[in-house]
Amino acid sequence: MNSFFRKLSWLARRRIREDQLAAELQFHLEEEAEERVAAGMPAQDACTAARRELGNLGLMREDTRAMWSWTLLEQLLQDLRYGARTILRNPAFTILAALSLALGIGANTAIYSFMDALLMRSLPVADPGSLVVLKWHVAGNKSVHDSVVHDVSGQIYDDPRTGATSTIFPYPAFELLRKSSDVLSVVFAYRPARKLNVMVLGQAEVTGGEHVSGDYFRGLGLAPAAGRLIMGDDDRAGAPAVVALSYGFAQRRFGDAASAVGQTVLINNTPFTTVGVAPPGFFGVDPSKAPDLYLPLHADLLLNPERSPGPVDRYLDEHYYWTEMMGRLRPGITIAQARTALASKFNAWVAATATNDRERKNLPEFLLQDGAAGLDNLRRSYSEPLYILLAMVGLILAIACANIANLLLARATSRRREMAVRLSMGAGRWRMIRQLLTESLLLALLGGGAGILLAVWGIKFLTNVLATRSESFGLYPELNLHVLAAALLLTVVTGLLVGLAPALQATRVDPMPVLKESRAGGLHSGERRGFSFGRLLVVSQMAICLLLLVGAGLFVRTLSNLHSLDVGFERENILLFKLNARQAGHRNPEILSFYRNLEERLAAIPGVRGATMANSPLIGAGAWGWPVLPLGKERPERAPGGHGSGFARTATRVLGVGPGFFSTMRVPLVAGREFDERDRMGAPPVAIVNEAWAKVNLEGANPVGRRVTSFGLRTKPQQMEIIGLARNARYDDLTGDFPAIVYMPFEQNLGVPVDEMTFFLHTAGNPLGYASAVREIVHQADARVPVEGLNTQVAQIEREMVPETLFARLCTAFAMLALAIACVGLYGTTSYTVARRTGEIGIRMALGAQRGVVVWMVLREVFVLAAVGLAISVPTALAVSKFVESFLFGVKPNDPESLMLAVGILVSAALLAGYLPARRASRIDPTIALRYE
Amino acid sequence: MTRRRVDLLQGTLDVLILRTLASGPNHGHAIAKHIQQTSEDLLQVETGSLYPALHRLEAQGWIAASWELSDKGKRARYYRLTARGRKQLAAEQSKWEAFSRAMRLILNPADQEGQ
Repeated sequence: MNSFFRKLSWLARRRIREDQLAAELQFHLEEEAEERVAAGMPAQDACTAARRELGNLGLMREDTRAMWSWTLLEQLLQDLRYGARTILRNPAFTILAALSLALGIGANTAIYSFMDALLMRSLPVADPGSLVVLKWHVAGNKSVHDSVVHDVSGQIYDDPRTGATSTIFPYPAFELLRKSSDVLSVVFAYRPARKLNVMVLGQAEVTGGEHVSGDYFRGLGLAPAAGRLIMGDDDRAGAPAVVALSYGFAQRRFGDAASAVGQTVLINNTPFTTVGVAPPGFFGVDPSKAPDLYLPLHADLLLNPERSPGPVDRYLDEHYYWTEMMGRLRPGITIAQARTALASKFNAWVAATATNDRERKNLPEFLLQDGAAGLDNLRRSYSEPLYILLAMVGLILAIACANIANLLLARATSRRREMAVRLSMGAGRWRMIRQLLTESLLLALLGGGAGILLAVWGIKFLTNVLATRSESFGLYPELNLHVLAAALLLTVVTGLLVGLAPALQATRVDPMPVLKESRAGGLHSGERRGFSFGRLLVVSQMAICLLLLVGAGLFVRTLSNLHSLDVGFERENILLFKLNARQAGHRNPEILSFYRNLEERLAAIPGVRGATMANSPLIGAGAWGWPVLPLGKERPERAPGGHGSGFARTATRVLGVGPGFFSTMRVPLVAGREFDERDRMGAPPVAIVNEAWAKVNLEGANPVGRRVTSFGLRTKPQQMEIIGLARNARYDDLTGDFPAIVYMPFEQNLGVPVDEMTFFLHTAGNPLGYASAVREIVHQADARVPVEGLNTQVAQIEREMVPETLFARLCTAFAMLALAIACVGLYGTTSYTVARRTGEIGIRMALGAQRGVVVWMVLREVFVLAAVGLAISVPTALAVSKFVESFLFGVKPNDPESLMLAVGILVSAALLAGYLPARRASRIDPTIALRYE
Repeated sequence: MTRRRVDLLQGTLDVLILRTLASGPNHGHAIAKHIQQTSEDLLQVETGSLYPALHRLEAQGWIAASWELSDKGKRARYYRLTARGRKQLAAEQSKWEAFSRAMRLILNPADQEGQ
């Protein structure tokens, strides 16, 4: 400790100590000289001998000084000062380098913050690490359709590792697993409440909610922001109608959380009492949704009494899968132990529910997953695109680093003399490398600081782009400590990487030859080695360029393919919006006339060329479907029925439409007629089929006039007559073969419940200009019915292509940037070559070489560099492009056209970059060149 | 008879300086001379390591320095042992004695047997 304070005080009196040391050494010198004189040496020789005996005075002083204070700190300060001076002395280089680093580091930081928000954020609840999500899966070759899962309300998705996986269970399974208190301290259930009509203080809106079991909030360990949260006693049939609001919703509608407690809200026209408000920052257990309301599980009996299956079935049916569950591990129990215990219970129970042998063979198996970050829906949809983006920005950073390394190298070789002098004076090589590294670190820190600012903007930009894809975007990326630490690490690593090779190169100098050489020197061995490293950098830059160019080509073609897709109906100038009159209180049969009247009034708006409706949007909202077969065919055993996404092509999709649908949406009718006033409730049931349906079921024969049986959901099979054949059009997904569709008049209510209807308005001019007129008319018709999802058809289709659009735009921008940087690098290298070989060129030209020969000589080198770069990158591009296959459409990953286009662009750019110095070379005046030598 | 100079082992310079100063304060040149003469010319201190060592010992607080007049009348920087330095010297000295005894025992086992 004493030595610490001593050194501290010495720091202050530095100058004095320097002088004292000089005096001390001088004294020593004199004593040595005197000794020698006393031994008989002449005075002059004695001085020289003494001086020689002392040795390297400078080094000795340095070493002594090192004892005075903390060497490392002092040296670091010294390096920083020196580095700052060097940076300020070359402002152009500094700005260029800092900008390119800022771009690379900023882009990487922005993407990383998304990944951090996606992959590493835990739920904002107590002890998220002990939460688990209950799932099941049907492995590999087994099929869900052949299993005990007869009816679903929810998602079954395809996981590459576990096959068809899902989080939904029958309610009896929940009651069974709830009793597993040996491994789980609590099990709670929930289920999303799809769009609810919520009326607060006279204002209606459509928003999302979550049905939760009594133990949900207790299990998550949350305390209310006001009032109380849903508790065990609220979740039973017959309990009073209570609701808990989310913090954001309470603030938005009531001003603050406390004033929301006790208020009545009308949910789907049923009054509910607000018992409390959830804490701020809580968004449920699924990061991709943020419900505004939390209702007891059993409250859906109040909200949708007419929904099928009926109340008894819903909670008792062992084959109806709809409840999602999570649990909390008991302290000391691992996931593996819990999984074993729960799996044996569940698998035994589910085996008992099998009704025949086929189902017994395809039993779902239990799965347990870590639930610290909540459900993984968001992760599944965003992680792949984010990894691809990360790869792209990583390549940009690599290119920027290569460029700066090249520039630093060039500058280092021009400081050879300085290095040589310092080395000969006794500076350690490691010390000099440290100093050069400090310079490059300083540069990197400058770039990194600017990069963080860039990242803020980048995050905003990306959030805007990605949020248009879904209505509630659940990622909240921010520059938290995690991300900033990663950015700092990246900056430091970049600085070290960029500066290491030039530093090593610059200090690998043999002092003597360098000191002896004249100022205008030729080539030396160290220089030659440095130059080939520079060429390596240029080659790698060109390789990266090619990768980005190929990527850009693939994505741009994908995007244009998607844009030019034939959807089969008119997409321009169509305004879309959704209304749900049933939730607002309308019932059969009045709801039908309500919708019909509305349609007439909408069609009467000046500028509206046609108005129609359907019970589902056409793109991106899933589809209804059930078997509709020619008369006489039996209902197939395993045909899917219900509302979902991604039905098989040969399965029939069903759409309930209003009269005039085909003419408004410009779907041509190949034969027969459209629906009109004849096809009302009570009239003979009719249907229109499309070409794909006719191909699958009638081998393309004319279906008009034939009769079919519609095996609708939970109704008796219904016979219908086909009155028209429509051209193929899209319904649900955009790509692939056209699906088989059967259109029915929605008024005839044949298996598709009439609640939410999507309206299509064909307008003259910009559809959004009619938005206020639409809202006005709907409000006049019934103020309880809010207009939801107002959008244009074109925008809805664009939403399906957001990742592809993003990739195409970003990749093109990055490719152009990379090309610019690589060309600048190539230009610099080639100019340097020309400058180096000036003498040689002069001699050649003096000996009679033509201009063209000289140009070719220089360009040949450019070609060689480009060829090496291509040799590396073309196989890499072919190998790597299969990772982006899932985002391509209409283009194969190893598409030869894109590859050749990219190669062509790269080679021509390289030629251009090299041509200017080559031309300069050919203009060299031989006499000047030779004199220069 | 030419004697081979023995190389100074790492870390031994410190204890040599401390021991030299135990007999009285002195300046750097004299300390080096003393070590050389007392070791019968076997040890010669490099000037390049002497002064850094002196300043390091000063930083540690084992020796203290002041400017005095030398016996020839010139101003020189004199170093003297402090109380802590004396303690350090005693500790180092006993360590060295133990070390050299151990070396002797291992390198010359016959001597021991003869005793």
